[in-house]
Amino acid sequence: MTTALQYTLSGLAIGGIYALVALGFHIMWSAAKAVNFAHGDTLMIGAVLAVMGIDAGLPPPLACLLAILAGALFGVVLERFAVRPFIGTNASIGWMLTTIAVGIMAESLATMQFGGFSRPLPSPGVAGAISILGAGVYPQELVIPAVALLAMAGLHAMQRHTLVGRAMQAVAHNRQAAALMGINVDRIVMFSFGLAALFGAGAGVLVAPVIQASASIGVLLGLKGFAVAIIGGITSGPGVVLAGLAFGVMEKFVEGYVSTAAREIVGFSAMILVLVAFPQGLFGRREIFKV
Amino acid sequence: MKALYTLGFALLAAILVVVPLTSGNEYELRLFMLFLIYGVIAVGLNVLVGLTGLVSLGQAGLFALGAYTGAILAIRFNLDLVLASIGAAVVAGLFGAALAYPSVRVRGVYLAVVTIAFGLIVENVAIEWQSLTGGTTGLSGIPGPNLFGYPLSGYAFYAVLAVTLFLATLAAHNLKHSGYGRAMLAVAQSETAARSLGIGATGIRTLAFAVAAMTAGIAGSFYAFLNAYISPDIFTFSDSVRFLLMVILGGAASTFGPVVGAFILTYLPEVLQRFAEWQKFAYGALLLAVMFGLPGGILGTLGQLYARLRPGPRGVEPGQGMPAAELLASRKPAGLETHGLTVRFGGLTALSAASVRVAPGEIHALIGPNGAGKSTFVNTISGFYRPSKGGVHLDGTDLAGIKVHGIARLGLARTFQNTELFGQMTVLENVMVGGFAHHGYGLPGAILRTPRFRREEAACRAAATGLLDFVGLSAVANEQARFLPFGHQRRLEIARALATRPRLLLLDEPAAGLTTQEIDELEVMIRKIAGLGVSVLLIEHHVDLIMAVADTVTVLDYGQVIASDRPETVQADPRVIEAYFGGPSAILNEEAA
Repeated sequence: MTTALQYTLSGLAIGGIYALVALGFHIMWSAAKAVNFAHGDTLMIGAVLAVMGIDAGLPPPLACLLAILAGALFGVVLERFAVRPFIGTNASIGWMLTTIAVGIMAESLATMQFGGFSRPLPSPGVAGAISILGAGVYPQELVIPAVALLAMAGLHAMQRHTLVGRAMQAVAHNRQAAALMGINVDRIVMFSFGLAALFGAGAGVLVAPVIQASASIGVLLGLKGFAVAIIGGITSGPGVVLAGLAFGVMEKFVEGYVSTAAREIVGFSAMILVLVAFPQGLFGRREIFKV
Repeated sequence: MKALYTLGFALLAAILVVVPLTSGNEYELRLFMLFLIYGVIAVGLNVLVGLTGLVSLGQAGLFALGAYTGAILAIRFNLDLVLASIGAAVVAGLFGAALAYPSVRVRGVYLAVVTIAFGLIVENVAIEWQSLTGGTTGLSGIPGPNLFGYPLSGYAFYAVLAVTLFLATLAAHNLKHSGYGRAMLAVAQSETAARSLGIGATGIRTLAFAVAAMTAGIAGSFYAFLNAYISPDIFTFSDSVRFLLMVILGGAASTFGPVVGAFILTYLPEVLQRFAEWQKFAYGALLLAVMFGLPGGILGTLGQLYARLRPGPRGVEPGQGMPAAELLASRKPAGLETHGLTVRFGGLTALSAASVRVAPGEIHALIGPNGAGKSTFVNTISGFYRPSKGGVHLDGTDLAGIKVHGIARLGLARTFQNTELFGQMTVLENVMVGGFAHHGYGLPGAILRTPRFRREEAACRAAATGLLDFVGLSAVANEQARFLPFGHQRRLEIARALATRPRLLLLDEPAAGLTTQEIDELEVMIRKIAGLGVSVLLIEHHVDLIMAVADTVTVLDYGQVIASDRPETVQADPRVIEAYFGGPSAILNEEAA
């Protein structure tokens, strides 16, 4: 029983990270029908820059804040120079390859600057474990899923109640009509990529104290975030967050009862099976196809 | 251009023969053999990337799958090089197809993600399944390459690799210049149009991925024999990126591009060795540089240059090819019937119990104010939308549950309100895509260029040429479709639809955006099409055009059929007048009084 609770709690923590990453994919896809394939590296940038900022003598909160902002800037710049030139062409191959290229460059630059090893980000959240019904967790681990849920709720509220949020929905629904209504579509798409990157870099800062920051953490977390977006349905914000949390818990159980290698096998196989049974994801809407 | 290809293949063959004779030592030869293996992967991947426009970032996983399959077959079952490689190709191909089908059905983008995930699954299964794969220590003791039990010398193994690369390049070249290659390009450029021409988009994409997977599997098996040792960490994500980069750098969709790309990226690491840590960065930078600076890759750019320096003829002489009447003979026009067709989008009822009957051979016009449900009607009978209630019968065949491409194959062809051409293909090629469903040569026939293939391709070209003559576009046959003026694009769509040899042709607002003169020409063309024995369902706003050509007019309003009769009767129908001009107005009544 305690073991099961332990797995669930740590699963929710890593699941919260997947949820935040997947939420970013959801935001980008809605705005542009394109995503940043270097989104995992945004997370890496957040984590690595936070550690480097503290190395440089910045106070931890400031270092984290700057790291997150740098991540968001990365997203904005990437959209402008790697994604936008290729949007609207028939095949998605253009922006896919350019963002992958930038991701590879970012990762190898980070490896050179940061070294090939992993380092923890100090945080009060991992100072001491607390015990819940016998299961030991760090407060940081409890914070992560809460942040993911808050981000989801915040995004929802923004889409409902703010002008920019409504504009995002309008662009997601119909780019051309939105432009005709006087919405600056390019700016909304750029904003969306920035917001997604903000969530991504935030996830990096949140997870770095728990799993240690390194130049290579981005690839796998980014990929799993995308897998979660596919499972939850990339068109549904709440869907991807729920799927992310569930995916994290499932991973911990498989890892605990079988092995780490089995965790990857089961996780990605689950994604492929969901694609077979629910092509639009578990909570996704079928996009109406206009001829 | 054809002579250039012949020259290219001769050059490739010459290089493959000369290199082993001149290579100084075993290391040099081995590196060149590695290039041959990478070349095979790149040539296969090019079918996916260059023709179908999809990205795989899991070729290293399929390469690994092939390597393990080949190695295990050789160690456990003592199979020789050829049998082990066939086994590897089959296993990789099956996994590839199983992987591609669910992903490309939804979005092409998903394939990239699914393939990355697959690479990781393969790596982890290789680690986990120790009894079969040796776990992290890998598999050693792979027997030396042998054929039918006879061991192969280094040069003989080289010959096997060289011949494989040569044949793979030739096969990919033949595939590209066949109906399958055109179908792949068509699916990449407009999935909607491709499906409406009888091409199953999911099937074609799955096929392309299976081809890429099989070649990666064969290459993997060769690699296992060359290296005599494999372990999970040989096949990483950055290898997948490198394979993709080979294709893009060399020139996606070109015949020799992947070979050139594989060559450069096999030898580049040797040169870059002293910049060890910058090597990965260089891959990223190179990919970015190619995407922005050389979008066609090396050979693609050279090809464009050649085309600009020595442009071919713009068109063909009119009056050539198989006359359209001959092509469309021996078919009967089809009738179409809908019963209580209802389509709802959420709470909106776009079509409400619409029953329409198109008699075989007639020109039937469907009109109605904006929002009346005309487009919904067209898209439902051609299979793009599913009816909520009611059904459609084409000559008595129930179309329920048949997909768009299946309906097209039953003889229903259509054009689009917003033209959907394959912009980067030539005008003639656009029309030839329409003949896809009538090719009987099959994939082996296309790759081997059998006599049947040559005969059918020649017939397809003649038919397309004849149809271009029919719509008056012979003079621009070799232009790219995207450069055509709008009126010509509309006519090209009609020619392409006719190439499917339809029994019923659906024209979705063909006069929209045309000049008065063009509309007059269209009127003549519609009559000629009907005269060839094709029923025509015309969706139009131009009342003059309809009154001039239609045998029957059906009027839709608010999703319901309000009239269906001869043009002059419909024109006088008070309900139709009301739908178009509004009800009796108070002002008009007063004035009348």
